[in-house]
Amino acid sequence: MIGNQLALIKREIWEHRSIYVTPMAIASIVTLSVLAMLVFASGFAKELDVAIFGASNIAGEGERKAALTAFFVGTSWLFLVALAILTVFYCLDSLYGERKDKSILFWRSLPITDAETVLSKLITAAVVIPVVAVFGIIATHIVNLIITSIWVSMKGGDAGLLIWGSVPILDNWVAAFIVVLASGIWMSPFIAWFLFVSAWTKRAPLLMAFMPLILIPLLEWIFLRTRFFATAVLDRGDAMPLFHTLDFESFFEEEHWRAGIDSISLLGHLDVVRFLTSPSMWGGVIVCALFVTAAIYVRRYRDES
Amino acid sequence: MTSLVSARGVSKHFGEVRAVDDVSFDIEEGKILGLIGPNGAGKTTLLKAVLGLTDCQGELSVLGLDPFRQRKELLRNICFIADVAVLPRWIRVTQLLEFVESVHPNFSRKRAESFLSQTKVRSNAKVRELSKGMVTQLHLSIIMSIDAKLLVLDEPTLGLDIIFRKEFYSNLLNDYFDEKRTILITTHQVEEIENLLTDIMFINDGKILLDKPMDSLSDSYAELLTSGENAIKAKGLGPIAEHEMFGKSVLLFEGVNRENLEGLGELRTPSVADLFVAKVKGARR
Repeated sequence: MIGNQLALIKREIWEHRSIYVTPMAIASIVTLSVLAMLVFASGFAKELDVAIFGASNIAGEGERKAALTAFFVGTSWLFLVALAILTVFYCLDSLYGERKDKSILFWRSLPITDAETVLSKLITAAVVIPVVAVFGIIATHIVNLIITSIWVSMKGGDAGLLIWGSVPILDNWVAAFIVVLASGIWMSPFIAWFLFVSAWTKRAPLLMAFMPLILIPLLEWIFLRTRFFATAVLDRGDAMPLFHTLDFESFFEEEHWRAGIDSISLLGHLDVVRFLTSPSMWGGVIVCALFVTAAIYVRRYRDES
Repeated sequence: MTSLVSARGVSKHFGEVRAVDDVSFDIEEGKILGLIGPNGAGKTTLLKAVLGLTDCQGELSVLGLDPFRQRKELLRNICFIADVAVLPRWIRVTQLLEFVESVHPNFSRKRAESFLSQTKVRSNAKVRELSKGMVTQLHLSIIMSIDAKLLVLDEPTLGLDIIFRKEFYSNLLNDYFDEKRTILITTHQVEEIENLLTDIMFINDGKILLDKPMDSLSDSYAELLTSGENAIKAKGLGPIAEHEMFGKSVLLFEGVNRENLEGLGELRTPSVADLFVAKVKGARR
């Protein structure tokens, strides 16, 4: 069972190279942007030079931390958005593509159950893609910290103190890891819905997947004048019960990061217990299980002839 | 003799259409059974039921298992080529071998690699880069490297040229088949496989028209090439089919003693194709 799962997940990564190509592309873009910024900044006066990335000797530790955390969060955010788009397309193709090119007949000639196959796709979408993205985030951070350190050193600054001493690296990475993994679980009903549509639709999976998400709230509003579906489903992305009170607006305001080292901790803003005991998280998991079961059922019982 | 496949009153309906209609048969170990039928006769549906790809009514047991409910167990000992060119186009040959090796307990990668080394299929090629014939060679190499009790082939050579087709069957016979294995095969190109079959089954409109060992065909069926008065005499004996060829009558008899036909013309065993046409036309009348 576990051996089969590993083989199946490997198979998913072979087929969908975008799972690792996308993070690599983002990492390259971020790195090139940082390089360009550093080169650009080098053309200015010395004060500007050293202000980049909190490398200034004038600014305090809090500023440097906030600046680097902003860079960390910004890049992580970029990965998260790309990841979300990637996951949608991955899910919609995962059980549709094999029917379209008829290779399902080959896959189903091997001693693997439909449940194992569908499960491998769920794990790929909800766990593998997020974990790969976290590694992408970490690699991007390391590369760019090194580049910035070299630059700071060339300008005569103390990179050890200014860059590596200022950034709560582990705190940021553990936080990124938790946020990304939790996002996979939190958004799992969507993942499962996309998998189901992918297994079920005869054509246009993208359209079939999004049409109900648009039509249902619209009809609900027209006929019932309520916004239950929209609140429960469409606003789900913003409602992840993982954060204490992460207010991005105040987070980067001066008073906030002047307050000191502790408030810069991203990890300090996460509340894993709240997430794990959240009824809406578990409700989502149940919806996910229902759609996954439906996807397995469709793959098993539909006669592809 | 052990019965590998046993069907009793198997049916499969799609709405009003009876794709398979109350069919009973057995397939014994060590046989090569040809399942012959026109398009839409129910061949593929029957094969799918045997492979556990579709549910059906009636009693169907394959290797002692319920194919639909115990599909995973079944597929360890049974393999099939459902259609030509169904290998995923994006995959590399090495990836394909690695994958099958990791999920199939009875697959020998060495064996597959040795089969492939006799072909032009490069191990780092993607399936989409291969010609149709090469994809079939690749598929067959994998299938022949699985130590399975039953091999099911559904139109395995469709769309291939004659050289690949001949090679396909000669590989199958020389490198794969032995008394422990059983092959179930469907094809339109009956002439190409009739000399390798041990048994034959005709299916039409979901029903079995004929189910016999090949070597018993000469006992039950005879084809008479005749003309003139002999032809009139022979027609009196109740042929199941007749047609004219080069001014002569070709008559096909079922269950008529050969001795009664000798002396009326040239006597021979009909080809599977002629027999098939006669049976299907007879059933439609």
